[in-house]
Amino acid sequence: MKVKYINPFITATVNLFEEYMGLKLTGGKPYVLSDPQNLMEVSGIIGLAGETKGAVVLSFSRETAIKVVSTMEKTTYTALGGEVIDGVGELVNIIAGNAKKDLTEFRVEISLPGVVTGKAYQIHWPEGIPVVSIPFESEIGPLSVNVSLRDMA
Amino acid sequence: MSFAVDIWSERKSMKVLIIDDSGVMRRIHANTLKEHGVDAGDLREAEDGTVALDIAERDDIDLFLVDWNMPKLDGLGLVKKLRAKPEYAETPIIMVTSEAAKYNVVEAVKAGVTNYIIKPVRGDNLWQKIGKYFE
Repeated sequence: MKVKYINPFITATVNLFEEYMGLKLTGGKPYVLSDPQNLMEVSGIIGLAGETKGAVVLSFSRETAIKVVSTMEKTTYTALGGEVIDGVGELVNIIAGNAKKDLTEFRVEISLPGVVTGKAYQIHWPEGIPVVSIPFESEIGPLSVNVSLRDMA
Repeated sequence: MSFAVDIWSERKSMKVLIIDDSGVMRRIHANTLKEHGVDAGDLREAEDGTVALDIAERDDIDLFLVDWNMPKLDGLGLVKKLRAKPEYAETPIIMVTSEAAKYNVVEAVKAGVTNYIIKPVRGDNLWQKIGKYFE
């Protein structure tokens, strides 16, 4: 997977967290996930289709997910309920939709978001394409954006 | 005798339909409108395009805020259906979506949206773009 496909997701994530929610992010070095199922407890998933194929997964700990959605809605959630799960889906939807602006090589459509929780879920990543994980630290805990996107020929 | 001034007294009464499959996002938009003096009783919400069409049949909606990606009937399909109805041919339809690609904007404009706002959008920025409809 080309490095240039990763940058639009980094830009979209930083814009969402820093510009919109006022949460400073510190980005780590992107790396290929040796185990693509090794994600945190709450993950929002979007499928990418069209002229390429792929997926993007935004992953948080339970506590961070609750705090992020609370910040987004300017309220206080204390548990991983339906509202927080809905909010995580919206966050990954914004990251994927915004990243399209800079993925100019191809036309890509995004799926509706799905959210999985727990410690033993399986993500059905596209086969044969590496998953690149971009780790971030924030004042409300760690998160990662994980991207798998087929190269254009 | 009261000298209290209702700063919202000039605000035009508009029925607004907020269409988004995310309840969080519907509440964020609704709170923005209420913070700017829009009466909660004038707000309607729908979680997809089909529910929105039902509401638009029953109620005279003055302004639509439409998400793009939704189940059943997406925002683009909804805009086309609304524009095909004579009663909504001229009504402001604002698309508020994460879809930031140029081809999406072009497609939405062709379908008949009045304005296109890319999420995430802060409340003040949203109001800057839609406040004029309430004047």
